[in-house]
Amino acid sequence: MSLTLGRTPRLPGEPASVSSRSRLVKIASYLVLGAFSVFYVWPLFMLVNTSLRSLPQYLRDPAALVTEPSLANFAEAWRLANFPQYILNSVLYTATATAIFVATSLFVAFPVARGYFRGANAILTLYVVALFLPPALIPQFQLILGLGLYNTRPGFILLFLINPIGMIILVNYMKSIPRELDESAAVDGAGYLRYVFSVIFPLIRPAVATVTVLHAIGIWNELILPTIYLTNKDYFPITRGLIVFEGVYGSNWPGLAAAVLMLMLPMLVLFIFLQRYIIGGLTAGAVKG
Amino acid sequence: MAIMTKNYLFGSSGGWSRLAPVMLLIPGVFLYFLIALGPSMATAVYSLTDASGLRGATVNWIGFDNYREFLFQGLASRDNIDATLRTLRFMVLVTFIQFTLGLILALLVNQKLRGRTVFRTLFFLPVILGVVIQGLMWKLFLQPRGGPMATIFGWFGASSEFLGGQPNGAFMWVVVVQIWANVGITMVIFLAGMQTINADLYEAARIDGASGLSLFRNITWPQLTPAINTNFLLNIIGSLQAWQLFLVLIGYKPGTQVLGYLVFAEGFGQGASPAFRQGFAAAASIVLFFLVLVIGVAANRYVGWREQRYIA
Repeated sequence: MSLTLGRTPRLPGEPASVSSRSRLVKIASYLVLGAFSVFYVWPLFMLVNTSLRSLPQYLRDPAALVTEPSLANFAEAWRLANFPQYILNSVLYTATATAIFVATSLFVAFPVARGYFRGANAILTLYVVALFLPPALIPQFQLILGLGLYNTRPGFILLFLINPIGMIILVNYMKSIPRELDESAAVDGAGYLRYVFSVIFPLIRPAVATVTVLHAIGIWNELILPTIYLTNKDYFPITRGLIVFEGVYGSNWPGLAAAVLMLMLPMLVLFIFLQRYIIGGLTAGAVKG
Repeated sequence: MAIMTKNYLFGSSGGWSRLAPVMLLIPGVFLYFLIALGPSMATAVYSLTDASGLRGATVNWIGFDNYREFLFQGLASRDNIDATLRTLRFMVLVTFIQFTLGLILALLVNQKLRGRTVFRTLFFLPVILGVVIQGLMWKLFLQPRGGPMATIFGWFGASSEFLGGQPNGAFMWVVVVQIWANVGITMVIFLAGMQTINADLYEAARIDGASGLSLFRNITWPQLTPAINTNFLLNIIGSLQAWQLFLVLIGYKPGTQVLGYLVFAEGFGQGASPAFRQGFAAAASIVLFFLVLVIGVAANRYVGWREQRYIA
């Protein structure tokens, strides 16, 4: 065993003596991970594969590999499904609602985190409680109906202006900013509004980024609320548009696959750049004792 | 001003700056009450009425009729109770499998392996794609006529209608997709927990001759308690409330609904009848709420008891 039969070079950080047992563990790990990956890579691959084939080819053999790749499905889906309008709507809803949510919740989170007014803790509790209460679906609908905002853009945006989890993340992060900063700023005569904007906001940027990304993804992917509140096709966001497209062209899988990919692409790009914030937000506070 | 506490130092000279925090806080809190908290609590009130979704229609007080209908009214209530039991079955299956799988994946990608970030990204990816893409991707993958999964089945001489088949079979495929879509969250929470474990503990145990399973049992598992608790509770509550993949994958199909879907179908005319039965739907959401409450509190108790045991 101790004969050196051309050992493979060590990875950095690997202990000096790699027993054959731990190498076995490594191989087994790769096998399990590889097997599991198949279920993530393959559906994705089939989606791309299908989107590049023509309908007759697909119908002949749905699982076959593409032989003459063509982007015709993308052009057709783009034309048939009114995608530019849907994407524009999605961007409008996501940007507006996220901006208003972040701006208003900064000014809730800061005084709550500092305990600057009586009842600050009670307010925080109300945000935590919301995570367990029954869904607001039915009375919310009655409210929007009563306000005359059913099937309107402002009414739809109104539904996305709050996010209890986002608020809790902001409050927790603000608690880590030293209070001495507030004191010296107040002594220097800074106004509250200016202080929050020019001192606190730059310091909590990581938390703001996390909350912004989580909230925006939530709106972008939402399917139920547009189904309930929007009947006018001109107002549909991309998720609803895609489901309608499926209803009409359901048997045209190549076209549908192209449409799904077009909706997916922006999310993939976003994810690659913002992964850190997304995962940071989802695990925030999850592993503390 | 009495509303501000003593540690608030801004605008000591008085004036508007003294009250600024409260004035600036009002829009956010008002929106929260208007859109979330108020409607959420009003669900209980609506469950005692015959509210419909028509603007201007009168809303009558009908006491507990909706609950009586949900629980005791012949064939229809048998469907409702079936949906409730199915919700519980969905919870047990999803929680158990997603928790176990998430833990195994986290353990695997927490090792020093080449390409581990690729695996992490891959398993987490569906989480951000949302139900529409998740659902449509799997609908394509599960095409019963010659689709990819059907082809694999064919190699073993088996065949399945997948999502279009018998209710029970279709239900199981939704369980599969639900876990596929969300196991990434469970994994990253476990990973975050593993990264807080002090490496010295492993070093010391290795010197004492421990390895493999015994390292896991004596160090990883107890040290992972906060992440275990979080995942356990999140999986239970999340799976009780999840239903959107049912909508995308199979739509309204008798014998497959869970409670969340029932609320949507009854309340917004998306089920067997096009009527908006919002009072009844509100009652169904209160039933779901109690389910979440009772199971959530029990799970929380259990988690608290576990924590005591490991800290003591």
